[in-house]
Amino acid sequence: MPELFETYDDIDDIGSRLQAADPAERRVAVIDLGNSGDPAAIRYLETLLADPDPGVREQVALALGEFDGPAVAAALAALLIDPEQPVALAASNSMAELKDPASADPILPLVTHADAFVRMSALRALKEVRRRDALKPALDALRDPDASVRVQAIGVIGFLKLEEAIPALTAAATDADRNVRRAAVSALAFSTTKSAADAIARSLADTDWMVREVAAETMGSSKFGRQVADALVQALNDEFWQVRLKAVRSLGKLKVARAIPAIAPSLAHPQANLRKEAAAALGEIADPAARPLLEAVVNDPDPEVRKNARWALGKCTAAGLASSR
Amino acid sequence: MPLATTHTSVPVVVDDAKCIADKGCTVCVDVCPLDVLRISDMTKKAYMAYDECWYCMPCETDCPTGAVKVNIPYLLR
Repeated sequence: MPELFETYDDIDDIGSRLQAADPAERRVAVIDLGNSGDPAAIRYLETLLADPDPGVREQVALALGEFDGPAVAAALAALLIDPEQPVALAASNSMAELKDPASADPILPLVTHADAFVRMSALRALKEVRRRDALKPALDALRDPDASVRVQAIGVIGFLKLEEAIPALTAAATDADRNVRRAAVSALAFSTTKSAADAIARSLADTDWMVREVAAETMGSSKFGRQVADALVQALNDEFWQVRLKAVRSLGKLKVARAIPAIAPSLAHPQANLRKEAAAALGEIADPAARPLLEAVVNDPDPEVRKNARWALGKCTAAGLASSR
Repeated sequence: MPLATTHTSVPVVVDDAKCIADKGCTVCVDVCPLDVLRISDMTKKAYMAYDECWYCMPCETDCPTGAVKVNIPYLLR
């Protein structure tokens, strides 16, 4: 009977192919080691960290991404400073897949490396391993001259979700770089403090519309959203429909009934996406007062708008019936 | 499924000079969800055996040597 599932050679047999003179054969052996899923493959992959062929080293970096743990992190750390860019890039991507908290040990020293790419990659890798002792290096990295490093530092802080980091995140929400500001505003979502709420509300007036968009979205997912609903209502007048769309969405999630008159103009916006989200938001608010607004768009030319308007009408009607009992 | 008549008129084109299927690599064949790629018995290189493609791209992105190129039709780009 033929094998139903793919099978692999004995790991030691694959390991012996790593000595082949042809780099392509070594590369294929490395692919097999990665696909084996056997942690015993790690020690073989480590022997190729200094392979003369950059293609083989790149493949080693990719194969290491199939495994986890401090030994893998140490090997990837060595490949991260490889002079060949594809090798370093593959190592960076594989490193970002690590989840084992013990993996942080070989990565933490790289946060202060001279090369910005290495610093950025190290912080990106530290994000998902969620190690408490990564907070201090991440906070220090918020002063890094490279914006991509600061963005990843915010990622580390955001994943840790520690209230003590709120002052640093609120400060980062006013960073000179818009990507840093966007990351900081997004990372503040976990907090329930007033300072975080105020920082997000201030970001709704940011000069960059993408920051305002993230701020409007974050308010819908944050715990203090209802307190800052007035700022969201203000955002419904933003010149960018993308910001208005997120503001409408957040007002719906927060079920802010007093926002219904302010949401109404979005139902007639030329952008169908915004009309759809406005209808959906009214459905989430589920206030019978929104029925006339929704009845006006049940025959909208866009099918998604019609669908959401009809769903929202049902929610409003049901809410009206429930309250009249 | 229609049989492909030539290797160059199909969407998935393999650069024989870069392909290392002759060294044992089968990545593109393994990842193809439609199972339309094969290793040639003659050249020992990968090629598109059946002219069916979803343009899902793993054969191109996963190829360790960048030998596979998927030519996406203009209207699907």
